[in-house]
Amino acid sequence: MIAFLLAFFLAPAPDFEARVREVITHNARPASLETAGYQTIAAKLWLKEDPAWCSRRLKEILDAGPTGDMFWMFPVTAIAYLDQGQLTAEARQALRDSWRTYMPFRGDTENHWLLYYTSMYLMAQKYPGEDGSRWFNGKSSAENFREADEWIRWWVDFTTRKGQGEYDCTHYIGVYVLPMSYLAAWAEEPAMRKRASMMLEYLMADYAAEQLDGIYVGSHARTDDRQVLEKWYGISSDLGWLLFGLGYHSPHYGSYPFYYAVASAYEPPPILKRIATQRADGVLHKELKRTRHRWRFHEARNGEVYKTTYLRDAYAVGSDQGGLLQPVQQHSWDVTWKVADPRGIHNTLFTVHPYSGMMELQAYFTFAPDPATEMVYRSKKSYDSPDKLLGGSPYEQIFQDRDTVIVLYDIAPGARFPHINGFFSKDLSMLVEDASGWIFARGGDSWIAYYPLAPYSWKPIEGGGKRLFSPYLKNGAVVQAAAASEFASLDAFRAAILALPLEVRREPVPSVRFRSLRGADLRFTYGEQRDFSSWQLFDGPHLQAGRESGMLEMRHGGERRVLDFRALTITQ
Amino acid sequence: MRWLLALALVVSAAGEGRPELHACVVNAKAWVVGARLTGSGLVKLDANREWQQLGFVHPMVLAADYDRQDPSTLYLAAGNGLIRAKDGGRSWRITTGWDVTELQDVTVDPNTPGTVYFTHTTGIRKSSDGGDTWQAADAGIAEKYCETLRADQSRAGHIVAGCVNGLHRTTDGGASWQRVGAEGLQIRRVAQSPHQPMEWLAGTQGGGLLRSVDGGATWEAASDAAVDRNLYDIAYDPTTPGRIAIGGWSTGVLVSEDNGKSWERRSQGLPRWDVWSLAFDPSQPGRLYANVHEEALYVSEDAGRSWRIAGLEGAFIYRLYFFPGGQQ
Repeated sequence: MIAFLLAFFLAPAPDFEARVREVITHNARPASLETAGYQTIAAKLWLKEDPAWCSRRLKEILDAGPTGDMFWMFPVTAIAYLDQGQLTAEARQALRDSWRTYMPFRGDTENHWLLYYTSMYLMAQKYPGEDGSRWFNGKSSAENFREADEWIRWWVDFTTRKGQGEYDCTHYIGVYVLPMSYLAAWAEEPAMRKRASMMLEYLMADYAAEQLDGIYVGSHARTDDRQVLEKWYGISSDLGWLLFGLGYHSPHYGSYPFYYAVASAYEPPPILKRIATQRADGVLHKELKRTRHRWRFHEARNGEVYKTTYLRDAYAVGSDQGGLLQPVQQHSWDVTWKVADPRGIHNTLFTVHPYSGMMELQAYFTFAPDPATEMVYRSKKSYDSPDKLLGGSPYEQIFQDRDTVIVLYDIAPGARFPHINGFFSKDLSMLVEDASGWIFARGGDSWIAYYPLAPYSWKPIEGGGKRLFSPYLKNGAVVQAAAASEFASLDAFRAAILALPLEVRREPVPSVRFRSLRGADLRFTYGEQRDFSSWQLFDGPHLQAGRESGMLEMRHGGERRVLDFRALTITQ
Repeated sequence: MRWLLALALVVSAAGEGRPELHACVVNAKAWVVGARLTGSGLVKLDANREWQQLGFVHPMVLAADYDRQDPSTLYLAAGNGLIRAKDGGRSWRITTGWDVTELQDVTVDPNTPGTVYFTHTTGIRKSSDGGDTWQAADAGIAEKYCETLRADQSRAGHIVAGCVNGLHRTTDGGASWQRVGAEGLQIRRVAQSPHQPMEWLAGTQGGGLLRSVDGGATWEAASDAAVDRNLYDIAYDPTTPGRIAIGGWSTGVLVSEDNGKSWERRSQGLPRWDVWSLAFDPSQPGRLYANVHEEALYVSEDAGRSWRIAGLEGAFIYRLYFFPGGQQ
């Protein structure tokens, strides 16, 4: 029995086609068909089973009234394309009519718009030559198609020249992969199909180069309160399993990967599989991203985000430069260690300054000032909490050299929450507060040394672990990670760290001088000017792309694959 | 001059039927993108005192104005773009594309037929053909985010806009703008007196109420009322010269009977003092409507001295308007 269970749990992931079928089949067989929704209909249509039920149920749902805005548009679009003569004329007509009688909100983020315009593109393509009276927005099929086409092409061009806006999101990566999968499968224009399939590779490559056994690591434009601790718990992990057979998928496989599967199910090229699964121990990877659109308080609509991620077999260390780079859900730096089964495990360590305020919300949104925080709180419960572990701060600056991070805070007097929070996981197997001032920890097969710049106390965290609470405006930490294989014991790691020269001061501004375990003399002072002008869109052993290039070169061993979005070519 | 303008408004409204109350509304507490929504967008109170949905349910119709030549045509500043709503607001067409989003305000120049302006997240656009085509019209505004704008009802091509950094004015139909005051302040609302067309008021974010008496050319602090609050709306009473209402967050409804020289808080009966929108009924002296944040629409028959619920419970009403009635 034990042997059977071991064989079951240790079995390698099935191949790509089998994984695709597994995702779709799972969704076609819900516990109850009574309450099944669009996803089940799409799955059954893909499998070409039970069309009578699909027609009946589709009509019932549409008759009840569409809801969900752009999140309604994409499943209905998939059904329109998966129909292929299976639905009854009545159900098909109900689907068509819903695009006349229901007006979806276009939303206020790029992921909303990508869903909206991809759906408009495909539905206008499916129903060409119709006048404005047939569409909710009063525009003809031709007008809708042209507008959607223009915006999608703008987004691809902007992203491949400036970097992605909602970059490296543990959840929203699915929202970007899905529309590209739709267009790669269903766009009739060859150039759009090509553009979309190249963009799929681009998004997959972006993820493949920055994951640890499927877990998306490094800084994120958006993650959430659970995923920032339980690093595995994201759509990105579902995609990692589906695309590359990495790690673990969620019980329901994720809705966005499902729709990716029923559309193009575009299989990553072999070089991407190798980048995702065959990596050296010690890879330094840098990326240039951008902020979302900032409507107020900034001269540049999209600020630049400079990411550094260092990946080893046992752990990864990642960061951005700090500051308020994204609204509400930014995650700026952490150490993530590898574990055999990450489900339910908090395999990470990081700090934040819990910031919330109008400068953030009014920069990125059109909110009126007074109810803005409350409106954010409705869907982002931790936003205005002093205990939160998610979000960027204008008072945070970060420097990273391989597996060393120096994070500094100079919190303005009068700031709403004048302290920093450090996350110390319940899953650290060792945590020692040393008389030297260093805190030594072990997570998985990684050592972590953490030197706090200011006094602190510990507070419990609901769900386990401890929060380092440090109520000092001038604050920060020095963090050094290492592999367990480098040091045989805690004593050996401790001795190595204590031998490293370290100078810290908090006045007049926080400043650190530290020689890292890797022999680098590091100096970092809060507020110092840093030159990022040479930072490229992608700069690492596996991905290369210059600023404004509109290109991406993938590398593995002697293999090369170049995506050129201006010429719409792939060269290998 | 002042009485001519007020009279013109009343005659215009009378000729087109009794003015009807319209609301730009989100009628759901705690709404977030993607959630089910009913009775939201543009609604109006009909002759039977029932609220009618006009056009689609939409979570972000922030402002409206009507075509002076054809009052059955409305222009709506919406999340999805500028919507031209014909047939009394029922038949919609989005007249803008992907290059504008989350429109904040719209105004029709009554003295230049076919001319409409709106504000959006990155500036101001203008149409000279009733919304068929749009051009950028914000030269001279350095920081483009503008929350509000209003066309001068007495002079063609004169527009006042309230932006993220102060008040701006154009006198040439948007070809050029000059900052005319409130530097460093975000402006949330501007309003022109129907009685004295050279008099304007502006409500600010944290800077109180500002006044201009020269058609928007210069501005100064109007009073110390709500000076540290965010003011969300300003309503002149078209039937009673000198009566003005303002409202904002934590201010309740403040009413002046002496053209802004003094203010009295008139919030007895309101459940909280967080006010989004205000409108005086032009056909019923003393009747004032106010929306309290996600509570309801309230009405007073005595210029704010007492209030009762007038429907739209739970609503967040961006704007209230009286548009010419009879547009069925």
